[in-house]
Amino acid sequence: MSPGLEVRMLCKRFGGIVVADSINLQIPAGRVVGLIGPNGAGKTSFFNLVSGIVRPDAGSVTLGGVDLTGLKTHQRARRGLSRTWQNLRLFSSLTVLDNLLVAPRLYLGESLTALLFGAGRVRRAERADRERATAILERTGLADIAHMSVGSVTFGQQKLIGVARALMNDPCCLLLDEPMAGVEGQAYQTIQRVVRDLAESGIAVCVVEHNVAFIRDLCDEGVFMFAGRVLARGSVAELIADPRLTELYFGT
Amino acid sequence: MEYVYALIMLMALYVILATSFDFVIGYGGLISIAHPVFYAIGAYTSALLALDFGLPIPLAIPAGAVVALLASVAVALPSLRISGDYLLIASIGFQLGLLEAIKNMAWTGGSGGLTNIPGVSAQSGGHGPYVVVTVLLAIGTVLLLRWITGSSYGRAISALRDDDMAFSALGRNGMMMKVGIFALGSGLAGLAGGLYAHYFRFLAPGQFGIMQSAALLTMVVVGGMRSIWGPVLGAVVLEALPQAITFLNLPPSLLGPLQGILFTGLVLVFMFARPQGLIGGGDVWRGRAVREVRDVARP
Repeated sequence: MSPGLEVRMLCKRFGGIVVADSINLQIPAGRVVGLIGPNGAGKTSFFNLVSGIVRPDAGSVTLGGVDLTGLKTHQRARRGLSRTWQNLRLFSSLTVLDNLLVAPRLYLGESLTALLFGAGRVRRAERADRERATAILERTGLADIAHMSVGSVTFGQQKLIGVARALMNDPCCLLLDEPMAGVEGQAYQTIQRVVRDLAESGIAVCVVEHNVAFIRDLCDEGVFMFAGRVLARGSVAELIADPRLTELYFGT
Repeated sequence: MEYVYALIMLMALYVILATSFDFVIGYGGLISIAHPVFYAIGAYTSALLALDFGLPIPLAIPAGAVVALLASVAVALPSLRISGDYLLIASIGFQLGLLEAIKNMAWTGGSGGLTNIPGVSAQSGGHGPYVVVTVLLAIGTVLLLRWITGSSYGRAISALRDDDMAFSALGRNGMMMKVGIFALGSGLAGLAGGLYAHYFRFLAPGQFGIMQSAALLTMVVVGGMRSIWGPVLGAVVLEALPQAITFLNLPPSLLGPLQGILFTGLVLVFMFARPQGLIGGGDVWRGRAVREVRDVARP
């Protein structure tokens, strides 16, 4: 199995609160791993640590054998690590299409010097990106709203845009933070299908989700987190059946 | 004629200052009101290079712009590294500190001002061409910023302003872009400074203080933030307005306060009654690229 994302001995504490306590976790390429646990277990903090938003106290993160530990957020993304956000964080002053167009892994348009001295190259890259973005929008059923502002579409569509934007980033590893919260119907099925396709194309996927049906249907395995620690790992059915974990999840 | 020249000159300079300030604060979302300090750096650098080192004016002016640009990078790098909010504090500190330094040094002319700056003289008929060049540079600035904000860089600026964390999680170097936006805007202010120095041939630190910041902010807010033509209109209107008041033949003791009230009053009125300014920038970024896509999509 190819290496995918590998996290070793990741530790982080904010004062007295431990959000990551020696986390060891591997997400092989082509697999979907579900992170399960009650609120405050450290799932989103784990994503923040892996994506470089928060600096860990100790531990390492590698992706496809490449060490990401000392890198900044944008450098990690350029090496193939993408994520979505629980609260979406879409670019509100851009259209749906433009939200995708700023998201390719390499975007020449972010460099003023490239723009001033290599306008032709930027234009060619822009054209290729536009084709790819259009294809992704079609795949995610968003083609009809491509030119609408992201603020004027439904919540389910906004969730899809978040996923589509991450796809545009062409990741090797994708961290999805509650992609299903508040989503139903068509959008639900689309996200499910997209995540499955991603895994089949060899991308390592990690999903934080409270929707048990989604986790059960989609994930190859589950990881149960509690108080910043990985308590158990196994098939989702096993984890759900474990009375000890159920008790921790629902509290007593 | 000299009066008309000076008025056109000031309008053109304020077009450069207001549009570049809008680029920083409106488009870039970088909260700083210290724009006049980079205007001052451009003006003093260019003036001193010509005065003390005999550098020809066409070389001194761009040199002033470059020094203003470099100074802005030196201010932006450390403060943006901590957090965006520190830029406001650091830049005001830099503005007040540098002006204080200028006041207290002999070679900058001190608080009395720098005089005898080499420049074009009205007698030799050099004012006309100089004004034309300045107006052309102002038009060039507007077109450059219009081109940049409508390009793929403009799209990235909008995304960065909306959410810089999501922006960097997509592989974008937001920090680098913020420094770039600040540097370009400040460099253009430096250019305006050099152009000012060799025309009016007198500089004093008092010209570049907080009052100047307030005037520029008024132009941008009244004209319309995040639009290209808004600050242009704001600059022209607000430069013309005080001149118009002087025709009312009021005593000078009334004139000064009246202009101050006019500026602050306008900001208040616009903030409440028309926050988008005379020419609103629109909530959604529409670059050239979008139009092209639409053309392609049409059968």
